Amino acid sequence: MKLSFYPGCSLEGMANDYARSIAEVFKDLEIELVEIDDWSCCGSTAAHSLDQMMSAVLPARNLAASEEMGLDIVTPCAMCFNRLSFSLSQIKKNLVDLPWNVTGDLIIYDMTRFLAQDALLKKIKNRVIRPLTGLRVVCYYGCQMVRPPKITGFSDYENPLTLDRIAETAGARVLDWSYKSTCCGASIGIGRKEIQESLTKRILQKAVQTGAQAIIVSCPLCQSNLDIIQKKIPGLKLPIFYFTEILRLSFKENITKKYFKMHFTDPAPVLTKIGLME
Amino acid sequence: MAQNNNSIKNRPVKQFGGSTRKTIGENGNHFLKQMIGETRTDISACYQCERCTNACPVSHFMDIKPHHVVRHIQLGWRTELLKSTTIWVCLSCEMCSTYCPNDVDIAEVNNHLRNLAAHSSIHPKESALAVFHQTFMEQLQKYGRINEFRLINAYNLKPGILKNKIKTGTLKEEIQLGLSLFKKGKLKLIPRKSRAIKEIRDLYRHKRGDIV
Ligand code: SF4
Ligand code: SF4
Repeated sequence: MKLSFYPGCSLEGMANDYARSIAEVFKDLEIELVEIDDWSCCGSTAAHSLDQMMSAVLPARNLAASEEMGLDIVTPCAMCFNRLSFSLSQIKKNLVDLPWNVTGDLIIYDMTRFLAQDALLKKIKNRVIRPLTGLRVVCYYGCQMVRPPKITGFSDYENPLTLDRIAETAGARVLDWSYKSTCCGASIGIGRKEIQESLTKRILQKAVQTGAQAIIVSCPLCQSNLDIIQKKIPGLKLPIFYFTEILRLSFKENITKKYFKMHFTDPAPVLTKIGLME
Repeated sequence: MAQNNNSIKNRPVKQFGGSTRKTIGENGNHFLKQMIGETRTDISACYQCERCTNACPVSHFMDIKPHHVVRHIQLGWRTELLKSTTIWVCLSCEMCSTYCPNDVDIAEVNNHLRNLAAHSSIHPKESALAVFHQTFMEQLQKYGRINEFRLINAYNLKPGILKNKIKTGTLKEEIQLGLSLFKKGKLKLIPRKSRAIKEIRDLYRHKRGDIV
């Protein structure tokens, strides 16, 4: 199996641990990811806030490159997924004029949605050698991956399940909660910090109340947002895992403390408790 | 009563663009039609059920609540909207649009108003947010990809930003965070150049004239 891979800017910087775990997991699953040569930024919140037209045009460059390779796209970042899908929908409706040739005949997968297909879940199951038994988690999807449903194609936007199914396959005990797709406010963090903090804190609080020992995410912005803020909240130690890190944990022996050194909230205590780390 | 100024009939009406606003729909129809056309969503379908506002996670930080935004458009009150905090505070989280019973795409409406404000001469109420978006786009045009470290530095160099951060004490916090990010290897100080830059710049020139 072969797919074109659109990592997005975060994975080159703040989330380069996410990038590493993705590479490892896909190698283990024997799925080839071909990084789009020379990909460019999708424009994110800024582009659609200031210039809607450019926000349809900018991602299209990557769609064109992927079509040229004849591959479907998979992207791990919720924001990128949203923007690429938006661009594709505009192209299909013939609303943008592009300097590249895009027919629109490709599928954009959010990475969790791709891996939560039945056949791939089976494959994941076969690779799990150290199930995360005893780990109570909640899955947090964020807003951009599921909404608006007419762009993202998530019909289960009220209660998305892709991450839940992946975490369950890895052996974790997934708890139900109602904050799965509440916005964490990352996009506003630079200009209006207090708004972002109030939203993020509420999500963390609810996760604790639900009884979770960790939160599983797929969006790089959500991860850093939920992780970094915990420095300011005394007593809160809720590791925020990328879902690929969870998979990697269950696929391999010898995960050491060092593997999670980019996390602000150290996951070692929780992992030691369930016997996955010495 | 000595003055009849207090009676409802003679209460001073809000000023709008120099003229006294009298009736609903005077300016309204034109702006409503424009917005319906440009956002492709039926704004006149709203029946003020407030579900959008109830679903919105940041409505209490907004001066015009989401359902009022829709009403403002129906009444043609454009300037108030472009001057509002709402259009900048809105997170585009799409809760409102997803749950509106009449399929009014409020997130798109807010976004479109933000676009209009960005291209107007009205000073944005939340200038820090507007400047941040602007900086992001400049970086995109310059480098094709975004590097967090470079983005934050460029943002801090914008007029007023650093001064405000020093005043509120957030600068110290930010430097500490930056240091720990660096220690953890989360900051990439020397970003890889994307070969896409030329194409992106050409694109901008083609679509928007010479900006860079
Ligand atoms: S949810 Fe829809 S119908 Fe209800 S107030 Fe908001 S825009 Fe109007
Ligand atoms: S998109 Fe904006 S207005 Fe709508 S719910 Fe989210 S923050 Fe509120």
